[in-house]
Amino acid sequence: MRTIWMIAMACLLGATLPAIAFDFGSVDWKKAAETVKKVQKAKTEIDEPQEIVLGDGIASNLLGAAPLLDNAAVQRYVNRIGRWLASQSERPDLPWLFGVLDDSDVNAFSTPGGNVFITKGLLAQMNSEAELAGVLAHEISHVVRRHHVLAIKKGAQAELLTDLANDAIRQKGGDPKLTKLVSAGTEVYARGLDKNDEYEADRMGVVIAARGGYDPYGLPAVLQTLQSLNPSDSSLALMFKTHPALGDRLELLDEEMSDQFAGLENQPDLADRFFQALGAGKK
Amino acid sequence: MRRLFACCLLLGVALPGWGADFARTIRTTELKAQPYSDARTLESLPARSRVEVLKRQSGWTRVKTATASGWVKMLSLRVEAGTSAKRGDSGLGALFNVASTGKSGSTVTTGVRGLSEEQLTDAQPDAKALQAAKRYAVSKQEAQRYAAEGKLQAQSVDYLSGGR
Repeated sequence: MRTIWMIAMACLLGATLPAIAFDFGSVDWKKAAETVKKVQKAKTEIDEPQEIVLGDGIASNLLGAAPLLDNAAVQRYVNRIGRWLASQSERPDLPWLFGVLDDSDVNAFSTPGGNVFITKGLLAQMNSEAELAGVLAHEISHVVRRHHVLAIKKGAQAELLTDLANDAIRQKGGDPKLTKLVSAGTEVYARGLDKNDEYEADRMGVVIAARGGYDPYGLPAVLQTLQSLNPSDSSLALMFKTHPALGDRLELLDEEMSDQFAGLENQPDLADRFFQALGAGKK
Repeated sequence: MRRLFACCLLLGVALPGWGADFARTIRTTELKAQPYSDARTLESLPARSRVEVLKRQSGWTRVKTATASGWVKMLSLRVEAGTSAKRGDSGLGALFNVASTGKSGSTVTTGVRGLSEEQLTDAQPDAKALQAAKRYAVSKQEAQRYAAEGKLQAQSVDYLSGGR
């Protein structure tokens, strides 16, 4: 494939520089090679607008699999928490969207471009806003580090992928090619990310939650709660399949959270606000 | 517990585990009188000591040993997996779904929609649902206002090294 590109670029250079087309002596071959490389890179890179289109397509698919929980107050609450945390990340200005899925499975997802979903099954395992923040911050970290974009790129033929994304943007969706790209993207969610991506999202998640002013132990607390569940419960199946073992994730956080977080232990967990927002507060 | 109960009812899912949770220490662990490092040490628990988990407070968990109650670092514990159907698949879960939504729960309809591997792969896009979800998105400013209402203060914290 690289050869084809080289030939294409050589033709292009030849066509645009007719006067010197045969004057090989004056061609800076090193520079030409760099240009070819640059053009190749531009062709395979998924830029931010493309990422957002791709992410919205995947989000539509996720919402096709599980509907949005019909509770405006809960949806608004999760968006407030999520957007605050995203503001503490390196990509504060993406069109961040947070949503609770009406599904009893225990799981959370993020798509390229800043869509983050959490199931009501996972929400129901939580005991404070800091725990919710920890999980949302883990998902935000996947978006910040573009883990899914990179996984999709890895799995698809790069130039094909980018052509599809370009077409999709030109035609503003509705393109059958986009459907293909998005379904390839959605498969990443059934397959899971590389486990090192998950560890990285854990490490970054506790920091983003701490930056937001929360008790940073929310995420490990949720992981411990999940550890206490019956692992053969089918509502945990996909989450377990697509993530490293809970024990390994906790062990890694244990190694890294010891010193740096000692001074942040008194940050609030806002447990009361959490239960009130979910409609279960004291009357 | 009452709030948790109400919350589960609201969301239409089963209650998280009834009964006590147990955990084992993953290393020699000091049982502290209070949830901080320089608190008085009540006893030193050898690795793999079994303790009952009572509550958590930030990085600390209150536990009960055979002889005392106190605090250990939460990440020094490995929680034992539940052996009974705690939620989801239990009859209780289905009951809550019916009781709270008036229709059968998602566990009953998993053949059609749901978040299993196959269902995700076969999902049909729902662009309208995405547009509906976007109605609930909030601005940075609104998020900041809500954070301030909760007395959250943004901190400067560096990412962890990852040890590699």
